[in-house]
Amino acid sequence: MKSRVGAVAQLLFVDLAGSIVWFPVWWYTRGLQRVMNAAYTAIGYRIRAYAFGVWIRNFFVPMYGLHDWTSRLISVFMRLVVLIGRCIGLVFEILLYAVGIAVWVLLPPTALILAIQGGVLSAIHDRTSAL
Amino acid sequence: MSEKRQEPAAKIGLASVDGMLIWGAPVDEFHLAFRRIRRTVTTIFHLLLMVASGTTLAIFVWRVVHLDALDGVLTSAFWFGGYPEVALFWLGIFIDCFLIFRLMEYGQDAKRIPGWDKGAVWNKEHEKTARDRAEHRFDVSEYFSAEVWEVIDAAYRLARNLSKAEVGIPHLFAASLASMTGARFLARVGLAFEKTKEPIAQLIRLGEASDRKAPTLSPDVVRALIIAYEQARKDRRMNVRTIEVFLACFTQDDRLREAFDGMGYPPEHVIHVAEWIRLREKMREDHQRFAHLAMLKPKTAMNRSMTARATPLLDRFSEDLTVAARNGYIPSIVGRATEMEELLRSIESGSRSVVLVGPRGVGKRALIEGLARRMVEEDVPSELFDRRLVSINIPQVVAAGDASLASERFFAILEEVEMSGNIILVLEGIEALSGARGSGPLDLSESLANELNRGRFIVIGTATPDAYTAYIERRLLGSKLARVDVPELSVDESIRVIMARSGAIEYKQNVFFTFSAIERAAKLASRYLHDRAMPSTALDVIREAAVLAHRTRGDQALVTGEDVASVVHDKTNIPVEAVSQDESEKLLGLEERLHTRVIGQVDAVTAVAQAMRRARAELREGKRPIANFLFLGPTGVGKTETAKALAAEYFGDEANMIRVDMSEYQEADSVYRMIGAAGDERGGLLTEAVRKRPFSIVLLDEIEKAHSDILNLFLQVMDDGRLTDGVGRTVDFTNVVLIATSNAGTSYIQEQIQLGTPIEQIKTALIERELKTLFRPEFLNRFDAMIVYHPLTLDDVEQICWLMLRHIEHQLAERGIGFRAEDGGVEILAKAGFDPLFGARPLRRVIQDRVDTQLADLLLRNSIKRRDTVVLKADATLAVEPAKAIGT
Repeated sequence: MKSRVGAVAQLLFVDLAGSIVWFPVWWYTRGLQRVMNAAYTAIGYRIRAYAFGVWIRNFFVPMYGLHDWTSRLISVFMRLVVLIGRCIGLVFEILLYAVGIAVWVLLPPTALILAIQGGVLSAIHDRTSAL
Repeated sequence: MSEKRQEPAAKIGLASVDGMLIWGAPVDEFHLAFRRIRRTVTTIFHLLLMVASGTTLAIFVWRVVHLDALDGVLTSAFWFGGYPEVALFWLGIFIDCFLIFRLMEYGQDAKRIPGWDKGAVWNKEHEKTARDRAEHRFDVSEYFSAEVWEVIDAAYRLARNLSKAEVGIPHLFAASLASMTGARFLARVGLAFEKTKEPIAQLIRLGEASDRKAPTLSPDVVRALIIAYEQARKDRRMNVRTIEVFLACFTQDDRLREAFDGMGYPPEHVIHVAEWIRLREKMREDHQRFAHLAMLKPKTAMNRSMTARATPLLDRFSEDLTVAARNGYIPSIVGRATEMEELLRSIESGSRSVVLVGPRGVGKRALIEGLARRMVEEDVPSELFDRRLVSINIPQVVAAGDASLASERFFAILEEVEMSGNIILVLEGIEALSGARGSGPLDLSESLANELNRGRFIVIGTATPDAYTAYIERRLLGSKLARVDVPELSVDESIRVIMARSGAIEYKQNVFFTFSAIERAAKLASRYLHDRAMPSTALDVIREAAVLAHRTRGDQALVTGEDVASVVHDKTNIPVEAVSQDESEKLLGLEERLHTRVIGQVDAVTAVAQAMRRARAELREGKRPIANFLFLGPTGVGKTETAKALAAEYFGDEANMIRVDMSEYQEADSVYRMIGAAGDERGGLLTEAVRKRPFSIVLLDEIEKAHSDILNLFLQVMDDGRLTDGVGRTVDFTNVVLIATSNAGTSYIQEQIQLGTPIEQIKTALIERELKTLFRPEFLNRFDAMIVYHPLTLDDVEQICWLMLRHIEHQLAERGIGFRAEDGGVEILAKAGFDPLFGARPLRRVIQDRVDTQLADLLLRNSIKRRDTVVLKADATLAVEPAKAIGT
């Protein structure tokens, strides 16, 4: 019978009530870790999409199969420009993900505080206007 | 109490890399009900959260929309000024955060199996540290999906309703069979659920009954569940699914295997079907990964490092396989891991260019397409990294009309490839460059070899073994290309290929394949269709079977093994379907039917009929002709007639007989007439006839007259069931009945029969003395039976006379004229036609002279009218009986 009591207790206290206590802890440990992992994977995929490795390896290889000196010079210059452009793009994307993670970290307390603050203030407003 | 009951199950454990696997979840009425309630409560809780969040946000939006001035929304005073609707908004956001947490943490129906999303490195590390966890108990029950829990629940209720003390494997199996996965499985097996009911019901009634209302899981079931986990873990599944439980039950219980065997589905068959279901699930997962990686590959001719160049001429004459693969037009390759490795190794090792050599239909193109997919995933050696695979249409390039123009065009294309630098060139049927396809003196192969010598680009060519030997091997081009052999697939490998390709065919035709259809397609194609190699023939068969099933039974039709068999039958004329009642009666009565045409000669008729029955019941070896017979005996005793009768009775028509008069093959040179001269596409008389009609009788008349070289040819036919013609095509003789006739030793046979010597003794003497001078012992040895035909007696000739007259009766009946013969007349004719030396031959002449000639005169004189009856009188003369007037 012990296990039956335990099971019901699990349903009520662990699954439902317990999850309310577990929520903040999870949010900043396992939850945060999962979000960061997802961001890390996504950035890795973007780095592959920008093909930095390929561009750096082929830095001095002329573009469009044009092997004369002028073309080579233009090519190196273009590659430098494109690489810088892509780096900027990547930094921008990394910043976006960083903002996302910051939102994850700040959102629950901010939302809760503002909800409470709004609630309390509006109650005060109501009372003063009633007076 | 419940703990005590769980004891036997809890004792079972299986050592694994995750620790000691045990089944920890209690399975009883309460816990199963609890599980259901918990799932419902969780769902309701999540729905409530969604409603709460939705409501708060809806109120917020509604209030904002009804604000006097929307500009205020953008001020900080609005957000922090203590408005109730804003407070509701933030509350809604907070609830959303909580909902995200709930769904991520409690939303999955089961825990994920360790390592399912980890790479090979993690798994290797995990294995290394397995010893540390050996003592730890690892509860597998948490990794079972909700569907499996429903199955366990159903199994429990089944056992309880039958008042069993334990939930046994049959209960669990029956419950999994009734699930969605079970239904899918049964459809693939081609078995109706109703049919399985009776044998399974018998099994679930077995086992100890109990008055206790609460059964427990039997140790066998616990073991099966743990094995199901182990299997899912090995296949890197996310959770344990029903198919794993189903398979574990099946492999753990002999009685289940026997039950399915009894229904006509052997264990391998069932396991193959389960593999098929899993293969499809795996392909879906592979496709997701491929689609994800394909996004990284450029979709134009330009490579990612932008070193390539535009290739306008090449683009006109080619197909970009990497772009096609990237856009999802190329299916994934199944098997061929060895060949793929060899291909990549050759490219990597520096010999660079490669030629794939294999028979037509073996899947050379599939291998190249597999390479294209791997290039899209960039799962290739650095030589192939960031490149594209382009297949040139050689005939289109070569078909310029003018040789110099073609050659110029080809060089311009090669120039583009070289300049672009990111192209791997595919030349399918590379022998066409050597002028192998009748393009005259055009030979581009040497030039290509020179280009390859400079090592500026890589070529992957394909060729059939014959073409490779004839046009490439000994030329310069041959020395530049590393040869990679692509052998024909075995039946088992072909089954896997068809399994993998079946989804697309099913989708296109809107039908469903049973496993038996796939298995039979592979087996029958490998056995009876030899025009091209496996798996292409098997795929053709399965495609046609799908079309046939769709045409005859409409949408959602189930394609069965019988559909496949009927396609193969239509293609080859070989009866490969299951033997029908009608046919089995025909086969069992074959002797009787043959005897209506062949008089006497019991031995011959019996031997032939038995061989046909063995062949149809699939009891013969598949590598020789159905039967090899040598018919010995004097002329006119029915040797050829036996063959004709068999052709008419069993092969459908007398014309289904390939008759070769061996007296025409007395010279050694005549062998070319039989199998065709080297390089002559028309082939030989015999080989072409058998190639077109593989299921027929080959009658070698008067074999003793043939040249000994020709007899040597038949040594191979009789032993291996195949013959290679002048062009190098192998012709299949495994579905012919080979009958050789000979008059050799006739005088000896007649002499001995008159002396009353038993037939067996005559036969032995014939082989030892008379035939030895004509045939080599190994030739005689290869016959399944040597049958000595008896000389005909007067009685036999009389019966033959009746047969011949019946033929005349049929001919006259077509003109509306009756025919009747009196016994006396027939006796006279038979006596006149009887000659112990020439058998029934003289009889034909007698009937011609005395009956046919007279009949012709009567017909020409218009002495016979329709409905009259011609009578062969007792004195062997003909008379006309006028028809009775109508109405009398």
